[in-house]
Amino acid sequence: MGIGLVLLFILGLISLHIGKTFNERQHFIIEQTEVAQTEHINRHLKYVDGHIGLLLYYIRFGLANEAPPLAGLSIGQRDTRQAAQLVNIRNLEEQKNTSELVNPFYQLLGNMDFSFVLIYLFPLIIIALSFNLLSEEKESGRWSLLAVQSGNPVRIIKTKLLIRLACVLLMLIALLSLGSLYLNISLDQNLLAFSAHAVLYVMFWFVLVWWVTSLGKSSNQNALILLSSWLLLTTIIPAIVNNLVSNLYPIAQAYETTIDSRDGYHGKWDEPKEPTLIKFKDHYPQFSKYNHPEEASFSWLWYYAMQQMGDDESATARIAMKQNIEKRINLTNWIGYLVPSIHTQFSMNFLCKTDMHNYLNYLEALETYHEDLRLSFYPKIFEEEPIQNQKWERYNLEYFKDQRHTSWMSLFPVMILSLGFLLAARQNR
Amino acid sequence: MRIAQIGLISSHTYKSVLKVPINLWLIGAFMILIFIALGSSYLSNLYHQHNVDHYGQEVRDRWENNPDKHPHRMAHYGYVAFRTKYPLSLFDNGIDSYLGNAVFLEAHRQNSVNFSQASLSSGILRFGELSTGLLLQFLLPLLIFFWGYASISGEREKGVLKLFLTQGASWQEVILGKSLGISLVSLFILLPAFVITFILLICYPQTLSITLIAISLLCLLGCYVAYIFIISFIAVWVSARSSSSKASLIKLIGFWLLFTLIIPKISQVAGQIFYPTPSKIEFDTIVEEELIKQGDSHNPDDPHYNAMKDSLLLAHGVSSTKELPFNYSGYIMKEGEKLSTETYRKHKDDLMSLYQKQSQVVLYSAVLNPYIAIKHISMVLSGTDFESYQMFNEAAENYRYSLAQTMNDLQIEQISNTVKSSADKNAVISQQNWIDFPAFKHDFLSFNKMIKSTILSIAALAIWLIIVVLLTVYFSKNLKAI
Repeated sequence: MGIGLVLLFILGLISLHIGKTFNERQHFIIEQTEVAQTEHINRHLKYVDGHIGLLLYYIRFGLANEAPPLAGLSIGQRDTRQAAQLVNIRNLEEQKNTSELVNPFYQLLGNMDFSFVLIYLFPLIIIALSFNLLSEEKESGRWSLLAVQSGNPVRIIKTKLLIRLACVLLMLIALLSLGSLYLNISLDQNLLAFSAHAVLYVMFWFVLVWWVTSLGKSSNQNALILLSSWLLLTTIIPAIVNNLVSNLYPIAQAYETTIDSRDGYHGKWDEPKEPTLIKFKDHYPQFSKYNHPEEASFSWLWYYAMQQMGDDESATARIAMKQNIEKRINLTNWIGYLVPSIHTQFSMNFLCKTDMHNYLNYLEALETYHEDLRLSFYPKIFEEEPIQNQKWERYNLEYFKDQRHTSWMSLFPVMILSLGFLLAARQNR
Repeated sequence: MRIAQIGLISSHTYKSVLKVPINLWLIGAFMILIFIALGSSYLSNLYHQHNVDHYGQEVRDRWENNPDKHPHRMAHYGYVAFRTKYPLSLFDNGIDSYLGNAVFLEAHRQNSVNFSQASLSSGILRFGELSTGLLLQFLLPLLIFFWGYASISGEREKGVLKLFLTQGASWQEVILGKSLGISLVSLFILLPAFVITFILLICYPQTLSITLIAISLLCLLGCYVAYIFIISFIAVWVSARSSSSKASLIKLIGFWLLFTLIIPKISQVAGQIFYPTPSKIEFDTIVEEELIKQGDSHNPDDPHYNAMKDSLLLAHGVSSTKELPFNYSGYIMKEGEKLSTETYRKHKDDLMSLYQKQSQVVLYSAVLNPYIAIKHISMVLSGTDFESYQMFNEAAENYRYSLAQTMNDLQIEQISNTVKSSADKNAVISQQNWIDFPAFKHDFLSFNKMIKSTILSIAALAIWLIIVVLLTVYFSKNLKAI
């Protein structure tokens, strides 16, 4: 068993390194985006001399979704998302859904981050260490001897289990401490909550083992029950939940959004200009004083009004799509309350800001950011302000801050489940 | 080795596994899971295809209903391409959930393929999805190990093994017989899965011929049978070499972990170290920088386009582009599209071959790891591997290019050279031109190509089978009976 522990520890170390690499890559990408933004703006400032509307057609502004160092411990879906996105002020719908370039086969295999080691591998070592604590004593015939010699033989078993618990917890804490040093994670509420989830998850598995032990079955049966529980909790139930959730809330709106935004904008070129301008002014009454020059075949007001329609006309589908994703998240969360593996993974992703909600919040922030850019640039375009009058060097990469607070309540589900099994084990004696 | 003796031992093993009630329950539970997996894949594939057809038609209708206009506006109006799933994907979902499903195709730029299942998932997808692939590749081996871990060590502990061997059975016969017996039990899970898949595929409104479905499924079945035989053999062999059943179980679970989780994950880390891939921003920056170097068709002083202009003027014996017998700006755009597409594709190909190499690092481990071998074969034949995805990807990019260039050609031929902008009332061509441009569709990877790309993994399974034979014939003599 010693080998198992050592192996687990090594895998834990590798997972920390994977986390470190991930964090560094995120930083690198954000730095590069920053450089790209500045270079891009400067280059176009050199090229474009004319209307500010033309310059703003090209140049892009970035919003970063910087993951905290803790994210290295539970990467979630972060690796498939861009750490920072550059957007121009044209319609956002065509720009915002791009994802990071990742080998899809590697995505299928999944990252071996710390949360993987914890959720999949720790339970196995716990099972291997303690599935036959009582049954082996009985099977070898030592149990009756013990029962005669010691006043409280159950206590011996309990002590044995507690020693194993202490060993595993010690290793967990060692890994977490090493991890926080290696990944420069600051000792804050999130790290503490993360560690608490990890400790609780380990405790849950010990309690489960204790409960199975209390059933008084043979070693083989214990092994079978525990391994099946492991498979159910880490593979089968989550996989069923995945199929259930995606079949229950299908998201066809994704396609609709694409088509609507495409037609919303591109279709306008061949339509009469007046309706587009009216819709634009309905959306932004503050710009109703600007007018498209009569008889002109083109104006930047009309152009950006058309672009705006790409976003406006796809809004219905976009909102429906977001609602469906939220339904998916909610249902999964609810089911997760009963499934410690899912709950622990989701809580960790929450704390590491690598969950789907973080991404949805980021998208919302990106929309606001984009809208703010529009609101500040639209009047300048319509007033035809000279390009040189703007302080372009002030447009640097901006950062999205996920404001969600550490939630300690999320510790309860696994805690309650563990207590339940503990009580059930007491009943069995 | 006597065939009859092997048959006797295998049928004995087979019966003794089925005699245990829990095993019947396990088989039952597996069947239910397979049923759920196939059923839900079938429904979601049907739904996906319905959307692809529905929205595909909508895109087409909207495209055709565009009024008479300047062709360049149509090049920007563009097209939306949706990815059709290969019908067999209901058997093994492979990387399908990580692949984009919709892409907006327009002139001048290559947009990313968006909306993979993963990008819309609550995050639960990380745990994997219920598919026949998961059940047969990942879980079935564990079940086989459970059936096989005590197959020899247990009899040795009970003292039956010695009796067996002294009665005339040879080690080879015992090992092969037991492996076959356990494999036979596994067929109870394997065969129904294939039969149901076959029935569902026949019911699926699809483009595949029954022959192709049958051949694909037979190939898959053959590989899966080889896989479960190898796994059964490993179970029996480890049991034979272990001092106790407990030791055998622990070793087998260790192997299972190594095969299904540790080796794939570690080899993936290695792949990333050996073949680092660029991020999106790196990729975009490199492409953009190269495009800038090539020249800017919008810049009147650009040397590349000036040289082209001069040679055109010379060839046609005119002094200004206005006098050229065709639409000059269309010509320039065509040249620009050609250059930018070449550049983009070059970098995209580089990236794809990096992905291929990364994946190879994992796939080479198939020689050590039958799990990876079967995973790969299953994925490829189900049309859910990267190469199949590339069929869509390339078809979409080719369609985009041909759309842009067709519109440029229409502009060159049909738009007057004196037109200043696409808003000019005289600069329109007929709607018929849009209708004449064919709809987007993409083919699947041909069966021959599928087989070709699985050669390595099939070879890996074959090597494993050879190892099985060698071990049985040459190394089973020094096993212990007591």
